[in-house]
Amino acid sequence: MSTVQNPLLEGLKLRRRPEPCALVIFGASGDLTARKLFPALYALAVRRLLPERFGVIGVARTEQTTEQWAAAMEAAVKEHARDEFDDSVWATIAGGLRYVATDFADDEGQDAVAAQLNELDEERGTEGNRVYYMAVPPAAFETIVNELGERRDSAEGGARGWTRLIVEKPFGRDRASAQALNETLLCSFSEAEVFRIDHYLGKETVQNMLALRFANGIFEPIWNRQFIDHVQITVSESIGVGGRAGFYESAGAIRDIFQNHLLQLVALTAMEPPIDFTADSVRNEKVKVLRSLHTPGPKSFVRGQYGAGLVEGVEVPGYREEEGVDPDSMTETFVAAKLYVDNWRWADTPFYVRAGKRLARRETTIAIQFQRAPHPPFAEIAGDGLRPNVLLIHVQPDEGVSLAIGAKVPGQGMSIRTVHMDFLYGGAFRTGLPEAYERLILDAMLGDATLFTRADEVDEQWALVDTVIAAWQRDRPVFPNYEAGTWGPRSSDELIHRDGRSWRRH
Amino acid sequence: MAQTLTNTTLAAVERALNEERDGGAQRTSVMTHVVWAPPAWLEAAERTLAGLSERHPSRTILLTPAPRRKGGLDAVVDVREFAVEGSSRCIASEVVELTLKGARAKAPGSIVTPLLITDLPVFCRWRGEPDWESPELEQLVTLVDRLVVDSSEWKGLPGAYGPLAGLFDRVAFSDIAWTRTEPWRAALAALWPDIRRIERLEVTGPQADALLLAGWLRSRLRRRPELVHRRAKTLRRLAVDGVPVEAPPGEPATASDLLSQQLDVFSRDPVYEAAVTAA
Repeated sequence: MSTVQNPLLEGLKLRRRPEPCALVIFGASGDLTARKLFPALYALAVRRLLPERFGVIGVARTEQTTEQWAAAMEAAVKEHARDEFDDSVWATIAGGLRYVATDFADDEGQDAVAAQLNELDEERGTEGNRVYYMAVPPAAFETIVNELGERRDSAEGGARGWTRLIVEKPFGRDRASAQALNETLLCSFSEAEVFRIDHYLGKETVQNMLALRFANGIFEPIWNRQFIDHVQITVSESIGVGGRAGFYESAGAIRDIFQNHLLQLVALTAMEPPIDFTADSVRNEKVKVLRSLHTPGPKSFVRGQYGAGLVEGVEVPGYREEEGVDPDSMTETFVAAKLYVDNWRWADTPFYVRAGKRLARRETTIAIQFQRAPHPPFAEIAGDGLRPNVLLIHVQPDEGVSLAIGAKVPGQGMSIRTVHMDFLYGGAFRTGLPEAYERLILDAMLGDATLFTRADEVDEQWALVDTVIAAWQRDRPVFPNYEAGTWGPRSSDELIHRDGRSWRRH
Repeated sequence: MAQTLTNTTLAAVERALNEERDGGAQRTSVMTHVVWAPPAWLEAAERTLAGLSERHPSRTILLTPAPRRKGGLDAVVDVREFAVEGSSRCIASEVVELTLKGARAKAPGSIVTPLLITDLPVFCRWRGEPDWESPELEQLVTLVDRLVVDSSEWKGLPGAYGPLAGLFDRVAFSDIAWTRTEPWRAALAALWPDIRRIERLEVTGPQADALLLAGWLRSRLRRRPELVHRRAKTLRRLAVDGVPVEAPPGEPATASDLLSQQLDVFSRDPVYEAAVTAA
């Protein structure tokens, strides 16, 4: 029903509400489902953004009834949701919950899922529309995708509505496996039906990067090599591997953070203005950046692994002493790199990036450091106190933007000090920032892929990472090489000091 | 703590604001929010404003005209701090309550102008029905980017919509009564295409809401359905040609919520303007 046909719709701020659908979560008894997916569904329900006719089928190996699973999800919502728990809101979700305990490769189990989907179609009017959420380890992935593909066109699958597939990271463990995974996916689904999640893209402040760059005339003219000295991107965590040792041992920081979140932040920082905000326009520009990334030599990469140390005043063990970690593990928990984007805008402008665990504090920031003033007339007085301007984008925590500028210290003479002008995102917009998963699940239900990564982006990201990992095979660093609670190994500082620069002060 | 200033000057008000801001919280403003609240509306205005400065960090200037009192300016200056969720930091919003005594009640423009935050939009919530010929309305129309009214507070309907429409080319308007009808308008829009042939619209609710709904249908459908209006304090029933319209789900929005929505709107609303013209 378009506004052209219906003149009464003009000017009405109708919220985008998805069409009726059923959400099938594979890995429904896992941590992600409890901590992120259900709290996100609840937040959408509170804001009346879920489809009017909606149901969720949980699929996992854990033996339990629908009632037990629903009770567990209710408890998870009470513990993790950002809104106060309201029985009437929960009831709108709970009425459409179904649980199937099955091995993913089991035909009978898949028959049961199909039967539940048909039941939801009939009872709740979900009209054959399906969103499949793959909250499962990569090993289980191919089996499920093949199974879904086979059933898609069959009568049991009920192919009368649309289908969308949400895929959690990691998407492969190298370029070859990612390509194989893509081939598997594209045998049964079109690219437009596949939604590869990088939850960083769902964060408001990451999207605000686009607003900051392209909605403000003052930044874009100076967003280039002529005015910017270099860029620093930091994704640091103060926590260790926690319960993820099994995954982390085979992934390391380069696959866990660098390959996806960090490279996406580089792409958003360096991309050209898209012609509009449609999925393909934005992703076309991002993939151009990823293709332009200069293949770095071994000296441009640093890796590290944390030893025991102090985090927030508490003694913490080294990585090799963590539960589930090989005592001789050579997995890196820190990675830093100097990258170049080989294009007209960014030639010779380094992007220093780093990510790691058990660092001094949790923060994700993008720092744009501008060139120094060419000739400050008060250079002698200012001395080292006069620092270049830095535009600092805080992705988390304290979401916002700061601009470091030089200001005169009151009093006689001309003494200059660096001060920060702060824009605190939550201070200006007091609505409570939605969690990334809320936005991403809603977008997937609406079929909007702007904030999801496309196959060619993933491919370019792995191409770079494969080169680095191949170089790493040739030597064996001495691990651990940094203390927990610090900013990584000394070689990370050396990486940037070689260029006469330093990591931002914290 | 708020500072109370009697027979004061704007310079003293500015000084008091600076002193109140010394608490260290970061001032964050997205607009200057002017409220014109004659004494009869003051209590209602303060109720609506409660919590609003937290949702829309701003400098709020509450103007109360007191033309019969001896000339002068009284002020209460307060800087309110709010914690930012998920952060250790606080932000500050400023609230300046001014009583415009004597001749100053007719000159709000010259009093507000020095207090506006440069370059940020200025919203004015006008409580009650304006005196359409008054200098104070004229001054504020010239000064603000958006004037927010609630035509259900007016007694002179539908006649008052005439002078209101006369101001559309000079300032953008929001009408809380119009905003309140939005869920019902969505419900009516869902009756398309049958509603194209509507002959009679029955509305149980405030007169303004009824007039605006009828004006909206007239302007959008280019028909003149008969309006049957039954007075009620809230908009609670609609029927098209005798058939009740399904009520929108959920509780009606509060006065604060409705005003809050309008403080996020910047452009003119041509659909509303057409509805007023046809009301």
